[in-house]
Amino acid sequence: MIGISRRGTELTLVLLAAVITGGAYTLVALGKNSTLPANIGPFLGVIMALLLTPHLANRVLARGADAVLLPLAAMLNGIGYVVIARLKPSLASKQSGWTILGVAAYVITLLIVKNANDLMKYKWTFATAGVGMLLLPFLPVIGRTINSSRIWIHVGPFSFQPGEMAKVLLACFFAGYLVEQRELLAQATWKVGPLYLPEPRHFGPVLVAWFMAIGIMTLQKDLGSSLLFFTLFIVMVWIATERTSYLVVGWIMFAIGAYIAWTQFAHVRLRVNIWLDPWASSQKDGYQIIQGLYAMAGGGTTGTGLGLGDPTRIPLAQNDFIFAAIGEELGLVGTTAILIAYLLIIGSGLRIAFRTDKPFEKLLAAGLTAIMGVQAFIIIAGVTRVLPLTGVALPFVSYGGSSLLANYILLALLMRISDSTAKRMGEVKQAAKKQAVPEVDLTQMIPLVEQ
Amino acid sequence: MNKQIRRLGLALIVIYVILFAQLNWLQVAKAKTYNADPANTRGVIRDFNRARGAIFTADNETVAESLPSTDRFAYKRNYPLGDLFGHPVGYFSLKYGTTEVESAYNDVLTGKTAQQELKGIGSMFSGKVNTGDVYLSLRADLQREARDALGDKEGSVVLLDPRSGAIRAMWSNPSYDPNQIADHDFTKAEEARALYLLNPEKPLLANAYQERYMPGSTFKVLTTTAGFENGALKLDSSFDVSKEWLPPNTQIPIKNYGGELCGGEMQRVFEISCNIPFAQTSLALGADKMVAAVNNFGFNEKAPLDLPDVAASYFGQVKDFDQDAPKLAQSGFGQNAVQGTPLEMALVASAVANKGKIMAPYVVEETRDSGGGVLAKAKPKDWKTAMSPQTAATLNTFMIGVVNNGTARCCMRLDNGIQAAAKTGTAQLRGPTEPGGQSSHAWIIGFAPAENPVVAIAVFVKASPEVTAGVGGTIAGPIARQLLNKALTVLQ
Repeated sequence: MIGISRRGTELTLVLLAAVITGGAYTLVALGKNSTLPANIGPFLGVIMALLLTPHLANRVLARGADAVLLPLAAMLNGIGYVVIARLKPSLASKQSGWTILGVAAYVITLLIVKNANDLMKYKWTFATAGVGMLLLPFLPVIGRTINSSRIWIHVGPFSFQPGEMAKVLLACFFAGYLVEQRELLAQATWKVGPLYLPEPRHFGPVLVAWFMAIGIMTLQKDLGSSLLFFTLFIVMVWIATERTSYLVVGWIMFAIGAYIAWTQFAHVRLRVNIWLDPWASSQKDGYQIIQGLYAMAGGGTTGTGLGLGDPTRIPLAQNDFIFAAIGEELGLVGTTAILIAYLLIIGSGLRIAFRTDKPFEKLLAAGLTAIMGVQAFIIIAGVTRVLPLTGVALPFVSYGGSSLLANYILLALLMRISDSTAKRMGEVKQAAKKQAVPEVDLTQMIPLVEQ
Repeated sequence: MNKQIRRLGLALIVIYVILFAQLNWLQVAKAKTYNADPANTRGVIRDFNRARGAIFTADNETVAESLPSTDRFAYKRNYPLGDLFGHPVGYFSLKYGTTEVESAYNDVLTGKTAQQELKGIGSMFSGKVNTGDVYLSLRADLQREARDALGDKEGSVVLLDPRSGAIRAMWSNPSYDPNQIADHDFTKAEEARALYLLNPEKPLLANAYQERYMPGSTFKVLTTTAGFENGALKLDSSFDVSKEWLPPNTQIPIKNYGGELCGGEMQRVFEISCNIPFAQTSLALGADKMVAAVNNFGFNEKAPLDLPDVAASYFGQVKDFDQDAPKLAQSGFGQNAVQGTPLEMALVASAVANKGKIMAPYVVEETRDSGGGVLAKAKPKDWKTAMSPQTAATLNTFMIGVVNNGTARCCMRLDNGIQAAAKTGTAQLRGPTEPGGQSSHAWIIGFAPAENPVVAIAVFVKASPEVTAGVGGTIAGPIARQLLNKALTVLQ
């Protein structure tokens, strides 16, 4: 049975991810103090529990799903944890707490969403929730501005970036909305030069998304999320309508928006200037990116070795600059491995989109994959000075609960679509359904999302 | 929609390939530039937190070592011999970086050479870094002897093996204590360095190879070589006994030292160091042949020492002499614009001692890894062929004559009847009638034993009233003799 062999492959790969994480953790301790870590036994126990829980959930809830997504996420999460623990030991226990929550969210998502196609019905709920999440940081009392971006909320001791959640909710909404509207949006009757363009009024939704992106850029001062949301929307419209013109017009609009923002807003100009010449203010604005460059250059091809570098010199290395810290201690070999991991996730995600025959699932899988791939690209490109730096989390690797939670839910949705397709294609025995999976009334989901 | 999904995949692959290309650029192509950026202190700070190899002299004294430290860094660099090796070994300072051997052999000391990294893979799990140790060709006993012999006179002494180019002693007074510059306390390091910088005698500069001086009559070794190599001089050449001589195109005559009468047979004018014969030889040869001959000694370029920032000795190019016959004449006896480092002048002596060949000078004999395995060993290399063996034999005889019957008769008789060969020099910076009064450097270059040389030497004593009162031989000669006596005892 393909389903069973997939889970076998997954188990092997998950164990490999555990070995990599455990090995890296040991090397950090050896590198820093030349001793084996004192708590290596319990540590390995926790890793195994964290990795085997979602794997076992897959065996029961998504037997036919893709075999490599979970191990790849586990490896990235593991390496991220090790590097965070090495950079700021005080954050290690928090990050493991967030990982437990993320894994729980993964299992719960698989439990609740029994059929991805059903999500289509709740698209307006997702839209409301998604926009609500984006607006939460503007609420008094809980909203916070950190590092000049107003994208945080604080409740008690916990801080949360609701934007991370919003991207998953909005991907669900876009998929549902576009499946309904795609034929209408795809009509091309308007001839401009050699191009047939859709009716101007059909660019309305693109305009709405554009204003949203500009709003995030200017009001929340969050350039990375702005780029991410707009890319997500344009890519999904393009896939849904199969009209390249949306892609072209969308990017022209984004370019115009970015240009206006550059002329009008000092914080945008500053980011661009730092990108062009960080050395112009090497002790102030350019300090972080220069330290990141020094760190990666210091790592060279093979890196200084875990625990042997000096990545704590990079400000906020555990968040946006975790990639530079990895570059220092693991070198080009390590950074390339991270790139390959994301490429494999992208490959698996797009294969899931490719295989399913349901348009909604296709769109959703492609959108979710695009989020993951583009978000990792934006932050890595920023750290390596390919693009102006815009702070977003490196999926599964950076420190932070909101990001981990959102990405594990994203992963679960991809797994669910993959599993449904496998079942429809007869790759998994339908009898498996009869196992102890409780039927969950999907209507119960609504309050959960609106919380 | 599948077509678009495929294209999306392609687009994502392309942007990730861009990231991969950029990472190669940052972490491989540009890595050296970023690591060497003076604003990038991460390498230095990392180096201060890990072990660093030691530096030993050829006679096994420790020049530099890393001791465990209790301040903000794990290790502290310690220089037990203080100022004795300040110049050739340099310092490893948090505030001022690394210099000299500490800088040139940094990769070995920190275990970063490919060889050490390969060997280190085996000990990866022990957390031990495969640092390397540096063994100098310099000897602490000879370095001390040089310091004692020079005393508080400002100047330099270079002693080397003419057969290999291995430098055995290289001392300049004043020197500095690298412990002060390497202090982890920035304020203390800054104060110490500021004091050294205020000193007009430039203690931080390694005068033996980073500063150049007018060589005076020691340069006659080069002019004589040029004459013999080109057939302008012969053993039976003889020169009129005269007080002064007027070269073409000038009203300023060339005089002998002290305006004395001087002349005679070829060997005699070399022994008593007349000026006029060498001025005439230089002019007779012409700029082409003189420049070619002195370039064969390594003038007009830097000696290939295994340390950074070596000064280039200077004679001048053909075009500098084209319209200036008096300059060519004066350069023939080491005056006018001619300048040599003390190291270069020791190499001039070594050319005569080594049958005309100059070996590339070096201060590091060997590097070893932490297990004692040899990483690299100095391989003696030819640098220049200054003259034929016949000319070398002739000059050897002349230089023995200088010791036995000439300007070094006073003070170059070695213990145990060992014969030395030498040439003295008194480089006149200002004549007695010029403002400020007379001022001259004292020099001696030579080697011993004359028949089978094992050491060549240059002693330079900078102009001061006390130095100016004597002549090169009487000031520099005793210093050379003391060091040669010691060297011949410990090296044989």
